Amino acid sequence: MKHACRQATKLASDALDRRLTAWELLSLRFHLLLCSNCRQCDKSMKIIHETAELIRHSQYGDLKLSDEQRRHLLEVLDKEAHC
Amino acid sequence: MSETVNPQQWLQEHGDYLYRYAMSRLHNEDLASDMLQETLLAAWKGHRNFKGDSTIRTWLIGILKHKIIDHIRKEIRNRNLSDAIEHDPTSAYFDSDGSWSEAPRAWKENPEDLCRSGQFHGVLDSCIDKLPEKQRLVFRMRELSNDDTETVCKACDVTSTHLHVLLHRARLGLRKCLEIKWFGKDERS
Ligand SMILES: [Zn+2]
Repeated sequence: MKHACRQATKLASDALDRRLTAWELLSLRFHLLLCSNCRQCDKSMKIIHETAELIRHSQYGDLKLSDEQRRHLLEVLDKEAHC
Repeated sequence: MSETVNPQQWLQEHGDYLYRYAMSRLHNEDLASDMLQETLLAAWKGHRNFKGDSTIRTWLIGILKHKIIDHIRKEIRNRNLSDAIEHDPTSAYFDSDGSWSEAPRAWKENPEDLCRSGQFHGVLDSCIDKLPEKQRLVFRMRELSNDDTETVCKACDVTSTHLHVLLHRARLGLRKCLEIKWFGKDERS
């Protein structure tokens, strides 16, 4: 079980980005069952992950181009892309 | 000329949506606006490539996405971000036998409360800023912009194996930083 905790946190992180193999999933679950430190770390990474998701939705959810930006873009388009 | 070929109308109908997409990836108003401009012009010049098997919006987003990936690739090349300068920070958290050198604390707050706290946003930003550059970049793309693995790999020119290593490092680094700067406060007060 050398490097067990470091390895377990790697799998817990990977699980947020890819589908773990059956063996990886089993060994991660087994480790988390026995190790409260890694359980805590796993939970923290999920909190960061979920908070980032919520922030993402709230941050730019109703952002709009400013009038000035829109005017500028229209000017460029009228100049460069007239039909 | 078909009525779909009208960049002014694309701006009218999809401008805000494209701008939001660009902002959520670039976090810079001028840059996002420039990317939007390039996208609309490229779309106008290449409108014959639009097959009509997707919506105009999907087609425009596809162009914008490529422009953003190109931009990030260029940034990485210009700043010469190599991995050699980024040591493995996870060794600081584990003993040589791979067990935790310092036990992680329990985090009591939930994501909803954290998201509502402007103060937490500030702390999170400062912790993200402290990450080594490449970790910061992949973490932002993956977690804050929700780009898929393939897109992040392409933009940052890394393999998926390497990406997962970088994300693991970024998450552990961030966890540690947040524990010190935010979650540690609970126990002191
Ligand atoms: Zn463990």
